[in-house]
Amino acid sequence: MKHESLNKYKDSFTHYTELRVQENRNNRVQLTNGDVTGNVATTESGVSARVFKDGNWGFSSNPNITDDSIVSVVKASTENVQFMNTKDSSRCGYFLPETKANYDIDLGTKKDRQNQKYWVDFIREVDAYIENKFPELLSRNLVLGGLDMEKSLYTSDGSESYSMTPRALFAMALSIEKDGAPVSIMNPWGGLGHLEDKIFQPSDYFSDIDALVEKLKQKADGVHANAGMKDVILDADLAGILAHEAIGHTTEADLVLGGSVAGDFLNQEVASPLITLIDYANTYDGETCPVPVYVDDEGTKSEDVTIIKDGVLKRFMHNKDSARHFETEPTGNARAFEFSDEPLIRMRNTAFVPGTSSLDDMIASIDDGYYLVKTGNGQADSTSEFMFAITMGYEIKNGKIGRAIKDTTISGIAFDVLKTVDMISSDMSWSSAGMCGKKQLIPVGMGGPAIKCKVNIGGR
Amino acid sequence: MNQKETVSYCLDALKKAGAEKAVCSLTNSEKKELNVEFGEMSLFRTTFDTSMGMSVIVDQKKGATSINKTDKDSIDTAVKLVMDMARGSQPDDAYDIAENQSPQTFSKGDESANQDKMYQSLEEFVDYVKSTYPQIQIEAATMDFNHSKSFFQNTNGVDFEVREGMYGFSPMFLSKDGKNTSSFNYTGVSALEIDKPLHKYGTIDSLLKQSVEQLQTQNIPEKFVGQILVTPDCLGDFLGFITGDISDGKMITGNSIYKNKLNKQITHPKLTFHSHPVSNEIADGYFVTSDGYIAENSTIVKNGILKTHLLGIYGANKLEKNRAVNDGGATIVEAGDNPHSDIIKNIEKGLLLARFSGGNPSSNGDISGVAKNSYYIENGEIKYPISETMISGNIQEMFNNIGEISSDRIDFGYCIFPWISFKGVTIS
Repeated sequence: MKHESLNKYKDSFTHYTELRVQENRNNRVQLTNGDVTGNVATTESGVSARVFKDGNWGFSSNPNITDDSIVSVVKASTENVQFMNTKDSSRCGYFLPETKANYDIDLGTKKDRQNQKYWVDFIREVDAYIENKFPELLSRNLVLGGLDMEKSLYTSDGSESYSMTPRALFAMALSIEKDGAPVSIMNPWGGLGHLEDKIFQPSDYFSDIDALVEKLKQKADGVHANAGMKDVILDADLAGILAHEAIGHTTEADLVLGGSVAGDFLNQEVASPLITLIDYANTYDGETCPVPVYVDDEGTKSEDVTIIKDGVLKRFMHNKDSARHFETEPTGNARAFEFSDEPLIRMRNTAFVPGTSSLDDMIASIDDGYYLVKTGNGQADSTSEFMFAITMGYEIKNGKIGRAIKDTTISGIAFDVLKTVDMISSDMSWSSAGMCGKKQLIPVGMGGPAIKCKVNIGGR
Repeated sequence: MNQKETVSYCLDALKKAGAEKAVCSLTNSEKKELNVEFGEMSLFRTTFDTSMGMSVIVDQKKGATSINKTDKDSIDTAVKLVMDMARGSQPDDAYDIAENQSPQTFSKGDESANQDKMYQSLEEFVDYVKSTYPQIQIEAATMDFNHSKSFFQNTNGVDFEVREGMYGFSPMFLSKDGKNTSSFNYTGVSALEIDKPLHKYGTIDSLLKQSVEQLQTQNIPEKFVGQILVTPDCLGDFLGFITGDISDGKMITGNSIYKNKLNKQITHPKLTFHSHPVSNEIADGYFVTSDGYIAENSTIVKNGILKTHLLGIYGANKLEKNRAVNDGGATIVEAGDNPHSDIIKNIEKGLLLARFSGGNPSSNGDISGVAKNSYYIENGEIKYPISETMISGNIQEMFNNIGEISSDRIDFGYCIFPWISFKGVTIS
């Protein structure tokens, strides 16, 4: 649904204006213990305009995409900013930094699209494998789906862009009964691209499923973590959520303006010199990131933001308004989830840069601690205190992996925790299934190597 | 076509395409939203949206789709898609749609918002915070008015029309004094009308006051097992485990720890709570369930005994249990005997837990997370706000170890909650 020539509406602009036509398409097949419990497709599209004048913003959106409706949302958003200006003129004379970018990218599959029956049959074949091989499981919940975000943008600065960014997801949650109570584990696959480009044969997943069930059984026999401050190794699969939750949010410039503690630390040492943290716009080491952004929803060319360099806090992530406030350049982090959402400062692909240690050496260096390998939800705070759920982990005793642990949570003050980092592995793992919530949802990528640090772990 | 004719057209199209049973709904909504960012009124949004949902059963196979267009071509395309989706799926005898009920029209709330009055209310709130709590920074605050008109029909003859207008207000804030920063905190309320200053809704004013206190925090003296007094702002995180566990998802997978507990004791006898979506006590309830039944009020737990699961049509058919008369939510917890200030006096060592930042509870109810915006209690007194403190326990065990339930409760518009103390929680 690429919308050509939004610039033909520029005559309806009277102030700084962003005009966006967007369509989100979601489809999902869900199988619960062999039954289809979800078979859903949704499409939401529409047009929105956002107008800036004298420090205020006006926004309006409409699901109809016609010449008349496009002109009407520009008019309504202009009237909205005028309403705000009549109430408060104290910021009269504020101007946003000008940016201009032109970029088209379509990351959709070039293959023929499969119909829903194909995917229902696919997921049933995977489920049949699990049911036959592991009849002892209490439940099997499999979800296969995708999200397409297709945006056309024109701004009064002259930026024009089009992007079609699909994401495929295949996830399963398995559970087993232990002492009369369920114990569960979940694993996602997928990433950037349509299902046709990411999900191939059912048999591709069989070995992963075998390993997942083995972990589930270990967890069922697991022990509670011993609550308190501990040495831990966050596996590479977990480092991304540390990057996102613990540091990333505190360095979004809107949260800095809102009082985040990171605002006090710019150009100060906030972490071990081993730590470098970057929010990648679209490319890492020559490869496309899980959530590539080339031009953001304010029409700014997206660039990498080096947040921490060798332990020193160097930069925040910006949109145009925060860049104006901090007298710097916007970084291309302004993104909106649906056509009816205004762009907010959002992370894109936030990752720690790998180090030089080996995971084996890291484990061997701990006498009494934990090796944490799977995570659930997480949350950050203005103080940089973070928490995230641990859904799979192991004790480390005398340098060796021990018993599995039950579900728990870890927390810490991020800028304190990062100062305790003394080993970082040389590998790199990207998570491609994350959705971040901050007024709106948005897909994000997270990544990193394994990290050894001290955190507070919940337990008994 | 008007909205009702559009829904009828869609339902006819689904039947003509071969649907044996079909459901069609259409909601048109308009939202006016004022936003405060960094303490300044900065954004005014007006958004219009349409949601047209359709689901079909053919050969006992089911498919569902939704679009936000109502022109004939879009509907016809969606009808073809959803029929193809259903035919490509697998049959299940548990699929069904709501039975016939008398056509009804429901209505509540204002037809439109006065945006000048909304602006004035929000501006007064910003001024109140600046003058009363100068150390507080409002990170964001949103005041909105959402008006929607919905039509719901199915092939069994269900024909409902619902009109609603609802105000919402949700501030998020922290305190900053030099280099001291408090944890952020937030809350939210719903109301049919704005008839008092915004800071007087829910717990807003007390949370603002606490935010300033939380500029100076201390760590707890040691790891211990004690009581937590969970505030109304935080209680939903814990009650949500019970209501989630008795709903379709957990029940169907077999992962619910309450699956065989109907009419059995699942909590301490002091706890009684209801789901009252159509009570005058709850402003932000609902009239029709997601399956298309007229919603009714129900008691979920009475004196600790589970009185109903929260199963929809599919879950009820699948498990051969009764369908719930509502979708849950709109929760009212019955009050206890003493005010929460007296409950604190009876706590020897514990926490006042005002916000819980925790991992999703594991299937067996184990839970752990960070006690945010919370206070250390010792010898019946609140001592100081805390930081870097975790709580760990098991929600099933916690609800069996209720200490007291407060007589004072908070009305958030979408729920009414008291303070509840739980014994035997690990605090570290």
